[in-house]
Amino acid sequence: MSQAQGEIYDLGYQHYDGPRGGRFQAVWSLWINGFRTILGLGRGARAKILPVLMSLVVIAPSAVFLVMSAIVPIAQPASHAEFYEAISLLLLLFSAIIAPELLIPDRRNGVTTLYLVRPLTSFDYVLARWSAFLGVVLVLTLIAQVLVLIANLLLAEMPWDYLQENWLDIPRFVLAGVVITVFVTTIPLAVAAFTERRAYAAAFVIAAFVITTPMSALLSMEWCQWSTTYTVRNGEVSEGDSVEECGRITGDYAKWFTLLDVGRAPMHLINLMFDDAEDFDLVDDGVDAEDEAAALVTELPLAVPIAWYAFLVLGPGCLLLWRYRSMKI
Amino acid sequence: MNEAAAGTPLIESQGLTKHYGKTIALHDVDMQVRDGITGLLGPNGAGKSTAMKLFLGLLQPTAGAATVMGEKPYENVAVRMRLGYMPEHDCLPDFMTASEFLSHMAQVSGIPAKHARTRAADMLRHVGLDEERYRHIKEYSTGMKQRVKLAQALVHDPVMVLLDEPTAGLDPGGREEMLELVRRTGREFGINIMLSSHLMGDVESTCDRIIVIEGGAIIEQGDVSEFTQETETFLIDVDDRREELMTALELRGLKPKISGASVVVLLRSDDQLDAIRNALVEAQARLRRLAPSRGELSDIFRRSAG
Repeated sequence: MSQAQGEIYDLGYQHYDGPRGGRFQAVWSLWINGFRTILGLGRGARAKILPVLMSLVVIAPSAVFLVMSAIVPIAQPASHAEFYEAISLLLLLFSAIIAPELLIPDRRNGVTTLYLVRPLTSFDYVLARWSAFLGVVLVLTLIAQVLVLIANLLLAEMPWDYLQENWLDIPRFVLAGVVITVFVTTIPLAVAAFTERRAYAAAFVIAAFVITTPMSALLSMEWCQWSTTYTVRNGEVSEGDSVEECGRITGDYAKWFTLLDVGRAPMHLINLMFDDAEDFDLVDDGVDAEDEAAALVTELPLAVPIAWYAFLVLGPGCLLLWRYRSMKI
Repeated sequence: MNEAAAGTPLIESQGLTKHYGKTIALHDVDMQVRDGITGLLGPNGAGKSTAMKLFLGLLQPTAGAATVMGEKPYENVAVRMRLGYMPEHDCLPDFMTASEFLSHMAQVSGIPAKHARTRAADMLRHVGLDEERYRHIKEYSTGMKQRVKLAQALVHDPVMVLLDEPTAGLDPGGREEMLELVRRTGREFGINIMLSSHLMGDVESTCDRIIVIEGGAIIEQGDVSEFTQETETFLIDVDDRREELMTALELRGLKPKISGASVVVLLRSDDQLDAIRNALVEAQARLRRLAPSRGELSDIFRRSAG
């Protein structure tokens, strides 16, 4: 006789007979988890402060330009390469600070072990984390560039004509975005694979990029001095013509030392893409250090900046993979 | 479970060897594990964890082969869809809820998202963490964390789980609860288990079969019942002619040992009591005491490790 009404039954353990995905599903799940970790989703408000703040910083220059284009009548269309110039350092900062979050806690908490006993390899793990970070940075970069494009269209008298003349800029800035994001993703992740402290990883990356900039600038800098000839005749001094003498500390090697500024390695490629470097005029007054470096690099054979970029991406990339392959668990 | 018993072993190794540099962690180990709960018993550093990691494919064998369900996990990671692992050390994220973490882990093991959430909730209920599942793992006690560790090993419904020292760091109450969960996992859920421990009590109360491992080699293996039977020890005290008694016992296939003033014999069957009587008569030794001392696994373990 049933005496119970609304009784709760413990169904006991149920086996799972449904579908099972393989490696792809494993990598995809890790990718989603990585994406959420980067942006601090599913965590408290404090975890979201840094990623949101850093994202705003990356988009800020383009956003400001867009606002200017709408309110300042004399504003001029700007080159997409110039905006990459403006945000390349900000992107590096973003990556240096956020990327360690993706690898270090997993290792410190021991979660990496749990991933590596699931149906994926260490290569899959690294690939999922790397591409999740790449995805986020690429989206940020492209948002910034699309804002520039909108601003340029607003500034053009004939937006449709502007688009027809400059449509090639769109595939260019997308490709340039890939070039810069692959760079700023790989190096900070590789560094994060070798330390247990997020702050050390961030500091190391930032320091490496900050220190090499003035070193490179110094070694490839142009020194100019005015020399004036004075003539003494009958006890009177008369001033002759002044002659400007210019040269570089490292002479003809100066163009090689521009490569030392590792943070600019992707910019050399991006400038090549937009053909902007040819426009830089060394003799022109008021050229800034960046333009000068860009111009100097064009004196190198084309393959050199490309090979340098490839080295700076593949080297750390291989280190990252090697570290996870040979990790003691 | 019975299918597994009839077919290929769930876990098998042949000449399995692992060196870390000059250290030999495991040397030429042959083992076969079928269904049920198998205990890997041995002191710290015996090679238990290394063996498990080799079966999971986390490590590459230096020599020999480790196979799981007929596959080599180091070469074919797909087999890990049906394997679970609970490591000895910490392995949980701080800032995730148990529910979220288990659902994620189920998905990484190949279970689609919508099923993963259900499995995560069910699994947390089975390990007794129903109420706390939406709290960050960081706030959990050691015992709760240990349950989450077990739950993540089971969330994708594996055929076999490897539990490395599941009672490590727990107080006696927590230990008994964890062992009860392990027993339920094996008996009720029908999931095959390999459990490692350095505590004989854990293994004796939980496992069907035991593999005693020390110094990277297997020193004994068999059913738990065999072990406890085998350790039915008899103490024989004689006034004289002890040497003759030893010889007479050896002749009858017993392996007597001297322990203090007594001769110790391990009995496998009651028939052997007759053999002891006959040996005493033959040796003409004057018997002072003949007493059983029902041993526990600890005796075996002490003897093996001794």
